[in-house]
Amino acid sequence: MSRYFSGLRDGIGFDIILVGAALLFLLALAGAPLVYNVLMSFQQVDMFTLGSLFRPAVGFDNYVAVVQQPEFWLVTRNTLIFVFGSMTGQFVLGFALALFFAQNFPGASTIRGLFLVSWVMPGLVVGGIWSLILAGDYGVLNVILRSFGIIGSNVFWKSDPNFSIWAVIIANIWLGLAFNMLLLSVGLAAIPRDLYEAAELDGANAFQRFWTITLPMMRSTIGAVLSLGLIGTLQQFDLFPALTEGGPANTSNVAGYWSWQLSFQLYDFAKGATVSVMMFLLVLFASVIYVRSTRHEVRG
Amino acid sequence: MQFTKLGLLAGLAFGALVAATPAYAQVTLKVWSIDGVDRTGIADTFSKEFDEANDDIVVEYRAIPFDEIVNETLRAFATGNAPDIVSFDNPDFALFSSRGAMLDITDRVANSEIISKAEYFEGPLNSVTWEGKLYGLPKYTDTIGLFYNKDLFAKAGISEPPSTWAELAEDAAKLTDPANNVYGVTFSARAGEEGTFQFLPIIQMSGGGANKVNTEGAAQVLDIWKGLIDNGYASRDVLSLGQWDSTGVFNSGNAAMAISGPWEIDRMVEDAKFDWGVALLPTINEDDQKSSALGGFNWGIMANTQHPDEAFRLLEYFVEQEDRIFPEFGNLPARGDIALPVTGEAKKDAALVVFQDQLQYAQPRGPHPEWQKISKAIYDAEQQALTGQMPAMDALNQAQTTIDTIFKQ
Repeated sequence: MSRYFSGLRDGIGFDIILVGAALLFLLALAGAPLVYNVLMSFQQVDMFTLGSLFRPAVGFDNYVAVVQQPEFWLVTRNTLIFVFGSMTGQFVLGFALALFFAQNFPGASTIRGLFLVSWVMPGLVVGGIWSLILAGDYGVLNVILRSFGIIGSNVFWKSDPNFSIWAVIIANIWLGLAFNMLLLSVGLAAIPRDLYEAAELDGANAFQRFWTITLPMMRSTIGAVLSLGLIGTLQQFDLFPALTEGGPANTSNVAGYWSWQLSFQLYDFAKGATVSVMMFLLVLFASVIYVRSTRHEVRG
Repeated sequence: MQFTKLGLLAGLAFGALVAATPAYAQVTLKVWSIDGVDRTGIADTFSKEFDEANDDIVVEYRAIPFDEIVNETLRAFATGNAPDIVSFDNPDFALFSSRGAMLDITDRVANSEIISKAEYFEGPLNSVTWEGKLYGLPKYTDTIGLFYNKDLFAKAGISEPPSTWAELAEDAAKLTDPANNVYGVTFSARAGEEGTFQFLPIIQMSGGGANKVNTEGAAQVLDIWKGLIDNGYASRDVLSLGQWDSTGVFNSGNAAMAISGPWEIDRMVEDAKFDWGVALLPTINEDDQKSSALGGFNWGIMANTQHPDEAFRLLEYFVEQEDRIFPEFGNLPARGDIALPVTGEAKKDAALVVFQDQLQYAQPRGPHPEWQKISKAIYDAEQQALTGQMPAMDALNQAQTTIDTIFKQ
């Protein structure tokens, strides 16, 4: 006991209290809902037993029922397309912009700052704006594409089953572009200039410099950006109600929106929880990559 | 002199306060509705009036947005904090009444001097009835019909609005004018309740219902609708447009016909710069049974109220004021005994007569406690057929499989 108090005095025990408080906070605010959610996916949940913790257990029935839904495979496919499409777009365009603004030209940092506008806007607002841009009959995008002769007749981005998921992806790329660019810009700025100078003296061309210096030096940044991108994309919700509501016929429905629909539109809370547990496994995978890629950064 | 006056006034005010405080215990009634979120409506106005007129009852009114009221009430009911009176969109009502969450008011209504069950339209009344018992009362109602642009009809040489879906398709072909950005018809086949709202009448007029959706007639009309979209007589965006936006296209003169309800009339009077009229919803064959969607809200007293008598008194007050809901709030009463006053706006008055007529054919969605799942099966099938992902009959069969499992439970 006295050792504990002496620990407090010399400051070692104080550390434990601080860490303990943070852990408690995490357990209460992140852990409890998570456990509740997982528990719910194995129970028969009635709308009137939402408040209670103990309900009839049904084993894996909810999981079986979710997989048997006619839209399950379509939603899974859409989720994969949405995640990879959005991430690829955000990353490639974000990297290109970051490289572009890393060049020294007048106004580079100011213009880069302006890109933040897209990032501070709420998703619902972005969805509303893109809903107007992507409208079939009077949308701006169709007018532009037609004037360049790229398309002959209007594309119904939101209502054509072949395009609906891409309508959301386009809006999501725009939304996440600034965040990717910013993180990658920071990574680029951290690479020592003299490495490039030395490489140039040795006769390396621009592509070789990118391939042998930029990419390897950016490895941990890229890992972090990609895993944060995966989490952010799986989290994306606002754009769906604003743009397509998952339609037509679920062709733009993804796991996150589906889970919300099951819980709060169809009041099937157990199935909603089940879908979100399935998604959680994906996010867990992303988190592991993220933690691994940033591990050696902490020891500075 | 001034001070004496002030003192006198203060004394009077104090005296009034003391006099207004009743000697007996007050009852507090909580009322939840969607009115008052963006504009003044029925529930907030009448609650305030009742509160002021009755010393023994305090009415606490809370406005909740449309999209949240069911969830909010579910949560409140699960934790024992439910309101005394609440109002729901009519297909949501069975979710609560079938589970014993609403108070059975059958006997109270039968004994009431103010409320007469016989005066209500059948459809709205069905939506508050569960297993023969009355769990609430219709608050107001609405339905859908066919708006048509008389100027464009005259230009195309069509004298009468279409009475069957096949005729509607023929007319739409004649009315479509791509050069002037005019579509023949617009409607809402959105992935949501509005999609079901506009498509369920088709199922009903072909002899089906919420429990039987795969009828020949429904598949036939889906094919007609798909033809409208594929031929460009209707915009492909009907698959994502809500009714309000879809009718906006009609108001701007870019569609010659629109399917929507009486809530559009006031805006149409203001925005539409052409002569327009309303017709009953087309049927599949000329002499088919008519049908239409039933919209509108219901009142209910929640089962765990501490003050059922006072709550019912408030409900009676709401019903007593129903002749005011059209002139003051623009909502249609769900009763046949209330004549709508003439507004003097010729097009509006003519339209209201048609909607009053259409109301007789309006059928509720459900009632079924799992209506939301049935509805999703219906609008998913509708969209699968309209986008050509599945033949109409296959899509309806798939919906039927889903619906069968819901009804078998």
